[in-house]
Amino acid sequence: MQIWRVSTQSFATTGMAGFFVGAIMTVQFTMQMKEFGALGYLGGLATSATIREIGPLLIAFMLSGKVGAFTSAELGTMRVTEQIDAIRCLGADPLQEIILPRFIAIVVSSFFLLGLGLFMSIFGGMFLGGLFAGVNYEEYFRHIPTIVAFPSIVAGLIKCFVFALVLATICTFKGYSTTGGAKGVGRAVVETAVSTMVCIVIADWMTSFMGDIILRLVSGV
Amino acid sequence: MVETLGKNVIQLSQATFEFILLLQQTILNVFKPPFRWKEFVKQLEFVANGSLIIVVFCVSFAAMVTILESSFHMKMVIQNDSMVPGFAAMLIFKELGAVVTALLLTSRVGAGMTAEVGSMKITEQIDALKMLGIDPVHYLVVPRWLATIIGATLLTVIANMVCLYCAFLVSQAYLGFTEGIFITNLTRFVRFSDLFQSCVKGASFGTVIPLMSCYWGFRCQSGAEGVGTATTNSVVASSVAIIMIDFILSFMFS
Repeated sequence: MQIWRVSTQSFATTGMAGFFVGAIMTVQFTMQMKEFGALGYLGGLATSATIREIGPLLIAFMLSGKVGAFTSAELGTMRVTEQIDAIRCLGADPLQEIILPRFIAIVVSSFFLLGLGLFMSIFGGMFLGGLFAGVNYEEYFRHIPTIVAFPSIVAGLIKCFVFALVLATICTFKGYSTTGGAKGVGRAVVETAVSTMVCIVIADWMTSFMGDIILRLVSGV
Repeated sequence: MVETLGKNVIQLSQATFEFILLLQQTILNVFKPPFRWKEFVKQLEFVANGSLIIVVFCVSFAAMVTILESSFHMKMVIQNDSMVPGFAAMLIFKELGAVVTALLLTSRVGAGMTAEVGSMKITEQIDALKMLGIDPVHYLVVPRWLATIIGATLLTVIANMVCLYCAFLVSQAYLGFTEGIFITNLTRFVRFSDLFQSCVKGASFGTVIPLMSCYWGFRCQSGAEGVGTATTNSVVASSVAIIMIDFILSFMFS
């Protein structure tokens, strides 16, 4: 139920964000590639850059606002209105009853939403490539398989998964440890959003670095 | 299905109308005589000074990743990465510096403002202001608006510089560029107007963030849940607006 709720609420926002991110990247790359006359590579390059780097980062920022803030607001409200204490009084473990389903739901659905956003970004890029750079759709798609190698997709998906974990951990923790009335809820939401973004940027850096090192080890260079 | 869709469309258009009304009121109120310097400086301190460390921190990590990734891509496509400084700097100036700063400001400043205005609303402080004959838009929104525009522009410039410097360091330590090559390559691609464009972007993001947050703050429903919902809504609306404005501006500048 939690998975369904989180996913459906953020579906449209994430899709739209992904579309625009793809579109922006295409516009930027068009300007650079024009100088080399290498517009044929536009599709592959823009897609690759979006999937590996910019896409997960920006869409995760969006999700941290949407899912993270929502969850911590909800948990914070429960905490402030003493619903969590009520559950404990009923002899149930609040961690198991409230936190665990939400945690799993956020991990699963954020992962899928990020994947969806990346997928949409390809179409955003394609649309703008046709509209703005005069690259028709077949040409745009032709170089995607040659440049976007399998490791890139895996790297993108690993990033998505790590971001989903970070997001779920922080927003449940911050929501659960809210204190002090309506103001406290507001403060918890702000803290969630800020610390999620900082942690996502760090996680982004770590996954990029680690991914690079692991790739080198595997390929034996 | 059709019913909910229609309801959503009506709500959205109403919200847009109210938002534009707030924008108009704010702009009109900027020129009304008592300019609240104290509040303005306080807000500027909150927006710019308070966010500086977070922005610098995040942006420097983002820059490191960017330059590594662009080196990866250049090696893949044209088999050498000698253009990387120029490309990475272009990406930083045109895109990353302004957008990452704005998204961070949204979550820190925007959410903070919504929570603040929202709790003022539910504790009836805003009604009290109205009773005293003070326009809440003039008292609350205008100083925040001006402060965020200025703060966001300044932070964007700082973020761009820090970004560039981090990329510079990483390219020396990890990709084997010397200082001279980096700077030469940089100046070949990047012009001063790029920094100016980045500032324009930063300023327009700074325009949207406080208006969105105050708008949602004024509409805050009562209770702890109301503040939480309002804050969430404001963060989401601002982020979407930022990404769309970014797209429009990128399109216009190119």
